[in-house]
Amino acid sequence: MSALKRKRGGKGPGGKAKKVKLVENGNKPQTTEMEQNKEITVPPPVSMGKWRNKERVLVFSSRGINFRTRHLMQDLRTMMPHTKADTKMDRKDKLFVINEVCEIKNCNKCLFFEAKKKQDLYMWVANVPHGPSAKFLVQNVHTLAELKMTGNCLKGSRPLLSFDPQFDTEPHYALLKELFIQTFSTPQYHPRSQPFVDHVFTFTITDNRIWFRNYQIIEEDASMVEIGPRFVLNLIKIFQGSFGGPTLFENPHFESPNTHRRVIRMATASRLREKQMVKELQKLKRTENKEAVTRDVTDDVFATPAEERPVHIELEAPAAKVVKKNKHKAFKRQRKQNR
Amino acid sequence: MVFGPQNHCLYPIILVNNTMDIIEDDEQLGETSEQDSELSDGELQDAFAKGLLKPGLNFTTQEPKKIVNNVEGLKQCLADFRKNTLPWIERLDMVNLPADDIVAKSEGRLDNKASEDINPDDDFQREMFFYRQAQEAVLEAMPRLLKLKIATKRPEDYFAEMAKSDQQMQKIRKKLITKQIMMEKSEKAKKLREQRKYGKKVQVEVIQKRQREKKAMMSSVKRYQKGMTDKLDFLEGDQKTAKGGAGKGSGGQTPDKKAMNKKGPNAKRKYKDQRFGFGGKKSGTKWNTKDSHNDVSGFRAKVAHGKGGKGGKGGKAGPGGRGPAKGGAKRLGKNARKKMKGRS
Repeated sequence: MSALKRKRGGKGPGGKAKKVKLVENGNKPQTTEMEQNKEITVPPPVSMGKWRNKERVLVFSSRGINFRTRHLMQDLRTMMPHTKADTKMDRKDKLFVINEVCEIKNCNKCLFFEAKKKQDLYMWVANVPHGPSAKFLVQNVHTLAELKMTGNCLKGSRPLLSFDPQFDTEPHYALLKELFIQTFSTPQYHPRSQPFVDHVFTFTITDNRIWFRNYQIIEEDASMVEIGPRFVLNLIKIFQGSFGGPTLFENPHFESPNTHRRVIRMATASRLREKQMVKELQKLKRTENKEAVTRDVTDDVFATPAEERPVHIELEAPAAKVVKKNKHKAFKRQRKQNR
Repeated sequence: MVFGPQNHCLYPIILVNNTMDIIEDDEQLGETSEQDSELSDGELQDAFAKGLLKPGLNFTTQEPKKIVNNVEGLKQCLADFRKNTLPWIERLDMVNLPADDIVAKSEGRLDNKASEDINPDDDFQREMFFYRQAQEAVLEAMPRLLKLKIATKRPEDYFAEMAKSDQQMQKIRKKLITKQIMMEKSEKAKKLREQRKYGKKVQVEVIQKRQREKKAMMSSVKRYQKGMTDKLDFLEGDQKTAKGGAGKGSGGQTPDKKAMNKKGPNAKRKYKDQRFGFGGKKSGTKWNTKDSHNDVSGFRAKVAHGKGGKGGKGGKAGPGGRGPAKGGAKRLGKNARKKMKGRS
């Protein structure tokens, strides 16, 4: 730690300059000087005291996550300055324990990542004390560290949120939209935020899934470059309470990853079984005794029924045909005949 | 549970219409035998009497799974949850369709704007859709932000921590550069290959030309040696062509060796093709009749009276294929030729 101590602003909204220690012997100026050397006050930021929208998001996960999920969480924390992290939750605890964890951390939203079988990643977005919560299956995760995503933005800058018009059509999507807005938008004048708006989060609904993208705004004319991270959310259920409560909505298009894998396995198994059956049938056919057929079935195919004509023997030679085309030949034959 | 006229049937025979939910649950629990029913036989008989049960064998059907969609509940929840006191500036949310696709418009086809229409498996189309949606959001939001005096561009001297570290950006930059270099290399390699091919062709042509010239020279030298020609024009052939063949007396008349080379074999070839080639004249074309005797169209006065003997008519093209191949050099007589042969 450096010898200089810096303090930002004052102790609170009514922040003032530092306190001066009272010294018994009259060396007041000296000690104050020394203390002045040690404590330097930096004037508080202009937006101090204006932060009203107190949203805090707790981002954490269960045990058994892989590196990609861990990086995704880190990236979310980088992108959203109003987040807090916590240690991994044990799998044994029930989900409503999370509510208490959030209360301890003084957070009112939660992004909880759950990994099952080291393969499937589920994400809970919840409004912690009473509000609704939603569970998603996360797919196609790409983190900030991917080299194909070349954009960059200020750390902690406020995002612009862009939603598909489909979010306004259905009531469950409308609820999700509200949840996303409150979770992902950085409050204005948050102490860790930057005052510029230089990136956009887009939420689009395609193929019954929600696609998330993050773009950097380069020019005012809306030329953009992707920053990352990116993921796809597949809605499973929406609950009325936080991590529990009655189900408000269930996604009919959702197919659990287990079912999906099972379907694939069964398809391959059935294909194999069919092949086996066909092979066995062929074997049977080969080995079974074949009966000898005495009469050929196709014998009658060419039998054209026509009446018998009497045998006619020609005693005289047929008359020669005169071919007008080639006179010479005709003459030749006739000549030979006449000879 | 057994209904109907048959008894002792082992399959659970249950109602098809789902007024009796209790049975439904039992079926799902997998109990198939007679023990679990909460409906007594009396009740079942009542149901039969009422007409809810039809006679015959009744089978279970599983009720189709009910998907929860509590629209009222959702709306209520949303109303409770929404923070109406937040101004737009706190949320910065936009709802928009993607911006117009300039490329597609210029090509004439209007792209489908709705998000349902894009094919999620076509990566490029999908990503372009998202990109355009973001663009539209930015275009709409810019004026609003300007009004609220929020900047979107950071000033040049504003240094702050970025989401991706400088190291990361360096890596990205390097990767892009290597990609570019590779592309350029492949382009260069392609061009080089093309050039080499072309160069090879040209080289082959040049070599062939040289060989032809050498052959011609050798044959003309041999002819001179054997005494078939008496002029040494072929040695000066190149100079003559350079000068253009005008001015000199006998040289002026003799047409270019090159020109003769061009015409001579060609004419001969032509004649032979005409006579023996495909579709050419075949037998039966020459008849020694009165008409053919009187026909003098094939008479060439120059050839008949000998070329080169008449001076002053320089530059005119020689007879096609009939005259000697070389530039005006006559074929010597037998004795002269013998002499020449002996000499060499």
